[in-house]
Amino acid sequence: MKIKRDQLTGAVLVILGIIVFLMTTTFSLPITASYPGPRMLPSIAAFGFVACGLGIFVEGTFSKKEEKVYLVKAGWIRVAITLLVIAAYIAGMTVVGYLITTPIILYVMTTMFAKGSKSTVKGRILFSVLVAVIIYVIYVYAFGLTLPAGMLFD
Amino acid sequence: MLENLPYIASQIIQPFNLVLMFAATVIGLIFGAIPGLSGTLAVMLFMPLTYTMQAGPAVIFLIALWVGGCSGAFIGSVLLGIPGSASAVATCYDGYPMAQNGKAGKALAIGMIASFVGTFFSALFAAILSQKIADVAFAMGPWEYFALCFVAITMVLAISKGNMFKGLASASIGLLFASVGFSPIDAEPRFVFDNMYLMSGLGMTIVLIGIFGVARIVEEYGKGFGALPDVDTKSIKGLGITLKEIKAQTVNIIRSFAIGLGIGFLPGMGAGLSNLVAYSSAKNGSKTPEMFGKGCPDGIWASEVSNNAAIGGSMIPMAALGIPGDSTTALLIGALTIHGLEMGPMVFKNSGHVVYLMFATVMVCGILVLILQALGMRVFPLILKVPYHYMYPALIVISFVSAYVDSSSLYKCGMMLVFVVVGLMMSYGGLPTAPLILAFILGPTLESNMLKAFQYSGTAATFFTRPISCVLMIVGIACVFSPVLRMLLGKMKKQGE
Repeated sequence: MKIKRDQLTGAVLVILGIIVFLMTTTFSLPITASYPGPRMLPSIAAFGFVACGLGIFVEGTFSKKEEKVYLVKAGWIRVAITLLVIAAYIAGMTVVGYLITTPIILYVMTTMFAKGSKSTVKGRILFSVLVAVIIYVIYVYAFGLTLPAGMLFD
Repeated sequence: MLENLPYIASQIIQPFNLVLMFAATVIGLIFGAIPGLSGTLAVMLFMPLTYTMQAGPAVIFLIALWVGGCSGAFIGSVLLGIPGSASAVATCYDGYPMAQNGKAGKALAIGMIASFVGTFFSALFAAILSQKIADVAFAMGPWEYFALCFVAITMVLAISKGNMFKGLASASIGLLFASVGFSPIDAEPRFVFDNMYLMSGLGMTIVLIGIFGVARIVEEYGKGFGALPDVDTKSIKGLGITLKEIKAQTVNIIRSFAIGLGIGFLPGMGAGLSNLVAYSSAKNGSKTPEMFGKGCPDGIWASEVSNNAAIGGSMIPMAALGIPGDSTTALLIGALTIHGLEMGPMVFKNSGHVVYLMFATVMVCGILVLILQALGMRVFPLILKVPYHYMYPALIVISFVSAYVDSSSLYKCGMMLVFVVVGLMMSYGGLPTAPLILAFILGPTLESNMLKAFQYSGTAATFFTRPISCVLMIVGIACVFSPVLRMLLGKMKKQGE
């Protein structure tokens, strides 16, 4: 039997609710009728997860509507690659800073996103360098903010 | 109110502030016009830029982004049939057919003038009414504030049609995120795992940009961007609208304005709902309802006046009570807190001049948007032709730069990546984002007022023994159960027939 998306969502929410509830039991102040304390808000969230998770699961089980495909396999791969590129961007900024990493990442992303549409290598390089410099000038010189310099140059 | 005029004038005519206002309005218009982006996202992304500013320029910058975003949404609706944001959904119904009939210029002109009317006069109303409502709000205690926050969150659930469980689940996620860090009053560390970055809670920027901004871009890329829309700017010739035609819309304009202002005022609602309600009211009140959906000007007037009137409407509870009227005002409340402006009744006493600057900025931006749109009528539609492969990478970089600027720490950028994954998971599960935003931002206010109320009275009964609090609590509970109540009423009606 194929698991429906709503069933999976519901199950994840119920599990999350149970974990959150168990974590609230480690708080030092208990919930009392005269003062609910710091446990109350997360407990409401935990209750919400469990109740809604069950609701979504049951609705999903009895629903006769056909679920639309969220993403095809190639789409999931594109999502995973984008997340990896972003992770590399953060790692790159940590090591060599904003000014070196940003044009490279911008070029990588414009090339990835441009697949199938008209764009030239020269145009993408120019765009990547220009955008990185414009953002730097606005943030650093116009607004006096700092951007990562990188461990190597700190 | 009038004693603040010298301060307002001195702020608005400063060259730096004028440049800020102009730039933010243009950015807002661009974000508003492009489907998938919005004024809310613009406020989120550029909010960290204001951290080094004084309160005055920060207010001008943020408000201009918001007004530009609200006013630009109709461009996509008219020229593509795709709304720039939820606030311009009803504009598509008649704006697009009118453009298809070769009257794109007229449809855009109606959108511009209607947006101006809604924005300008709603801000005027807000300026007049906010102080009076704030005076009344002095009588409110933590019970009423808790109940107001409760209503704000539950009202969003009431309008998430057929998705009550998903709306509630999204709100629960928001409450969970709001609980991270030291609890109010008792200072109990919650979900911090001995991590110093979590002690002060999850930052608004990383949570919201991650879930609301970057996750959407990544998802769009996963689904495939598709071809760029074909925008016909050749059929835009002159305004094509006369004063007589505007006069003929007087009743429609007043009705739509009242709907927008009223819905904007209700906590948790905003332009996303007002345009649909005003559109159906205009259709119901029209002598020629059969013309709606075929390029009828009444439909564009109704939608655009009401969605922009919601700006002023949502500013009233924001300023007077510290309760957001919609997602953007929720963000603004957070952003203004950074500048030492704690919204609520006391703000008129402590920083009244800045609050009135806020209202004045909306009015000035309304005029600026009208001028910009009238002059750039053939240029602005070209925004819709910006290739995705240039726009989205730039937005991703700005998002992570904002996360860094927010905390001067790349650790927070890593945390934002986690929230991008959370956003993707929410989208996979079909969970809406609006309840999360409101619950996350209102969570701390909701909790601290709840705890204060218990400290004062020691019982939950007081929430129902104080009249205002009791009414609000009943409304909130009714909102939670409204989908069930609607279903039961529908069944009873069917049985009766």
